[in-house]
Amino acid sequence: MSAPTTAGPVTAGPPKRETEVLIVGGGIMGLAIAYHLALRGVSDVVVLERGYLAAGASGRNGGGIRMQWSTEINVLLMLESVELCKRFAGELGVNVWLRQGGYLFLAQSEGERARMEKNVALQNRHGVPTRMLLPEEARGIVPELDVSSLAAACYNPRDGILFPWPFLWGYANQAAKRGVELHTFTEVTAIEPSPAGFLVQTSKGPVRAQRVLNCAGAWSPEVARLVGVELPDRPHRHEILSTEPLKPFLGPMVSVLSSGLYFSQSMRGEVVTGITVPDLDDGSVKLGSRLRFLTTLAKELVRVMPRLAGVKVLRQWAGPYDVSPDGSPIVGEVATVPGFYLACGFTGHGFMMAPVVGKYYGEWLAGGPRHPFFDRWRLGRFAEGKLESEEMIIG
Amino acid sequence: MPRTPDCALEFEGESVSAVAGEPVAVSLFAAGVKVLSRSIKYHRPRSFFCLAGHCGACLMRIDGQPNIKACRTLASEGMKVERQNAFPSGGLDVLAAADFFFPKGMDHHTMFTAPRAVNTLMQKVVRQLGGLGRLPDPSPEPQELPAGERLRVDVAVVGAGPAGLAAAIACAAPGRRVVVFDEGDRAGGSLLSHPAHGVAAADRLAAEARAAGVAIRCRASAIAWYPEDEGGLLAVAEQPEGGGLPRLVRVTAARYVYATGGYDVNALFEDNDRPGIFAARAVGTMLIRHGVLAGARPVVLGDGPYAAALCEALAAAGCKVMPIDGVRERVVAARGRAWVSGVDVQSDGKTGPVTRKIACDAVAVATLPAPASELARQHGAEVAFRPEGGGFAVLTDGNGATRTPGVHACGDVCGFRGVLAARLHGSEVGRAIARAFARPGEGA
Amino acid sequence: MAGKVIVCRCEDVTQSDLDHAVALGYSHLEEAKRYTGLGTGPCQGKECMVACALYLALAAGRPPSEVRPFTSRPPVAAIALGTLAGPDDPGEGGG
Repeated sequence: MSAPTTAGPVTAGPPKRETEVLIVGGGIMGLAIAYHLALRGVSDVVVLERGYLAAGASGRNGGGIRMQWSTEINVLLMLESVELCKRFAGELGVNVWLRQGGYLFLAQSEGERARMEKNVALQNRHGVPTRMLLPEEARGIVPELDVSSLAAACYNPRDGILFPWPFLWGYANQAAKRGVELHTFTEVTAIEPSPAGFLVQTSKGPVRAQRVLNCAGAWSPEVARLVGVELPDRPHRHEILSTEPLKPFLGPMVSVLSSGLYFSQSMRGEVVTGITVPDLDDGSVKLGSRLRFLTTLAKELVRVMPRLAGVKVLRQWAGPYDVSPDGSPIVGEVATVPGFYLACGFTGHGFMMAPVVGKYYGEWLAGGPRHPFFDRWRLGRFAEGKLESEEMIIG
Repeated sequence: MPRTPDCALEFEGESVSAVAGEPVAVSLFAAGVKVLSRSIKYHRPRSFFCLAGHCGACLMRIDGQPNIKACRTLASEGMKVERQNAFPSGGLDVLAAADFFFPKGMDHHTMFTAPRAVNTLMQKVVRQLGGLGRLPDPSPEPQELPAGERLRVDVAVVGAGPAGLAAAIACAAPGRRVVVFDEGDRAGGSLLSHPAHGVAAADRLAAEARAAGVAIRCRASAIAWYPEDEGGLLAVAEQPEGGGLPRLVRVTAARYVYATGGYDVNALFEDNDRPGIFAARAVGTMLIRHGVLAGARPVVLGDGPYAAALCEALAAAGCKVMPIDGVRERVVAARGRAWVSGVDVQSDGKTGPVTRKIACDAVAVATLPAPASELARQHGAEVAFRPEGGGFAVLTDGNGATRTPGVHACGDVCGFRGVLAARLHGSEVGRAIARAFARPGEGA
Repeated sequence: MAGKVIVCRCEDVTQSDLDHAVALGYSHLEEAKRYTGLGTGPCQGKECMVACALYLALAAGRPPSEVRPFTSRPPVAAIALGTLAGPDDPGEGGG
């Protein structure tokens, strides 16, 4: 029996023996970069995905996209990323259901309010229309909110949520149309540096590549170790759940700063919600679900939205955050292994950043200008002690 | 069994008579309410299918709470029942136009992606169409949340059907704490839908279990095995007798027995979701537990022993039964919209397929139930696809032991075998557990 | 007249939708689940998973013996947030 040929993006059979660029990881980061390379004429690209399409964090996240950050670079990049998301359906032919219902952050202490005010001022300087709200005004946006414990809130109506998986299908389709090979269920087992680049061993045969990109998310330290590089990012389990579908009632993504609770309502009507739960971060990727997550989340969510007590949980799952020590990504070429590039350490925000990071990565590797973030977020900063701390990390 | 209504529900402002304690879905059907819900995308009319709390076809708004299974909610005086996801009403839903615009299906991922204005408008429309029920009504005073419970036992059995009860009876012993959890309101599982067994047989088996010292907790749904919480625990949501939110029970046991049976599965044919197309076991349950006939002229689709037993019982109740074996003759399409009015049946003729039309007022689909293997899988058991067993059967050794120490499975979850064989299997597995407890160094 | 063969009742997924997913290369159950939404509604695949898994395998030319279920995600039955938010009972009872 043989599989019929398909009209989809996944290439049948083993990968080609030689390629200019080999991307390890078929999540949104790898596929966005592949698409932007192909768009600029570099289509001799092979993307290898160990599981099915969307098996990793790209298929497991809550789909939030926001401009509310504490550093200038993230504010600017996310302003652009939101624009790219708005154009995605038209340009790539797949709906991502971007809904700009805003992000509503809730502060419960004066300290949180002070930090919020500082961040809002920074965001306003760059044209992000975030505004500080009184607790009563927050209830004007989400009437079911219990605001009794709130000190303040802030709201940017242009933040939003989207549906994550279609990004992968869209990037994959358009990359494949331009000649990029995408192989699912294909594992990289060894990467040997050679004079002309790398010899990459895969579960479907060897591939010679001039450049290798590590876009393996939470698995990126594992992939880097194949070329003898120790990365400082570590996998962290992030759990999330989805409720029964309800008619639209919740406009924004709501997030409680102190607990890391966040919740939004998807296009399908489900409340999609997660919270920070401590975990044993021992370097392994864990994807199991815990009752402790459910009870921790439910207590906090029902405290903030008592009306949800009768709403039922349909499904819980976990995704792996790829956490970098300072909360900022790790990108660019590894100085000690020329030709080996990184796009990792996105600390739970890789999905929303991928559209813009993919664009600049593709632009640079195709011979275009090099965005300043490649310097700021280089691997070497950790050894040099020049950290790029981002405090707006949720979950 | 005669049915004598003794209370009234308030269904969308109208009074509907019901028997207190029967499922609301059955009350509505008996009162002639054909459409209980509208499907999520195409707003197709739906009624209940499985009558066992599994299929999701009978979600209604009940007493101000959305997405409540009408098949699992017991009728009581004054209960408020409404349909959801329909405009202007569940009976006449203009949104069902979607069903005609997309006659075969739709790929919503690639529809209306450009130009931007159209895409944005589409997003807004789809958002408004999404979801099923509205938010729960606000509670007048602050709601008291139910306190959890911790329970440590020797044997935790999930499923009070013939296999689970038999296993519990066989491993019960003085001083040994054996508890059986069941999601239903009454112990018995598949006995309760089988015309040859029924409520009396279920009650006898449950009484035997209680006499052996087994605790049976009904309205208690095992929701998950959590391996990382407190060294591993079985989470159970138990509905209090008087209604209200279920409480969370954290169960740990020396041995776990999954006797979760199987889920009713529909057959694949055109318009196979029409109201009036029921799981055969739902038709059986209505007949023998609630005294309600699914139809006067039902088609029974399937060739197994259950289909035969159901045909016989329906005929004895005065129905004109039309059996279709599903092998020699296959149902290829249903007719009717708000209720099934007939089926097209195909068989192999000398020169090709021959189709005949049968008028009917109900269809009982007697496909093999699919093993309900989720909990066992979460608990590390291996499954294999077994077409003759109805789906993904839990793999066990001769003693019902899965590959995870202390975790057992018996009955239809190990591949469909039917009421009597499931009970025998349960007994064998229960005896093996009792032997293991008797060995030195084993036990709680 | 609409002649849909409904393979997933909760999400209104039709047999044609499965054929379309297979044609796009999303023929594994986990992939087709994400592309079509099958098994993600109120029943979480209880009614539809086996039939969909088998249909996809046959449509993609894989032997039924290779068919695997999709990951079983808790909870097996829907559970209210209020149930989970209730106070824990620190004590321990017997059966």
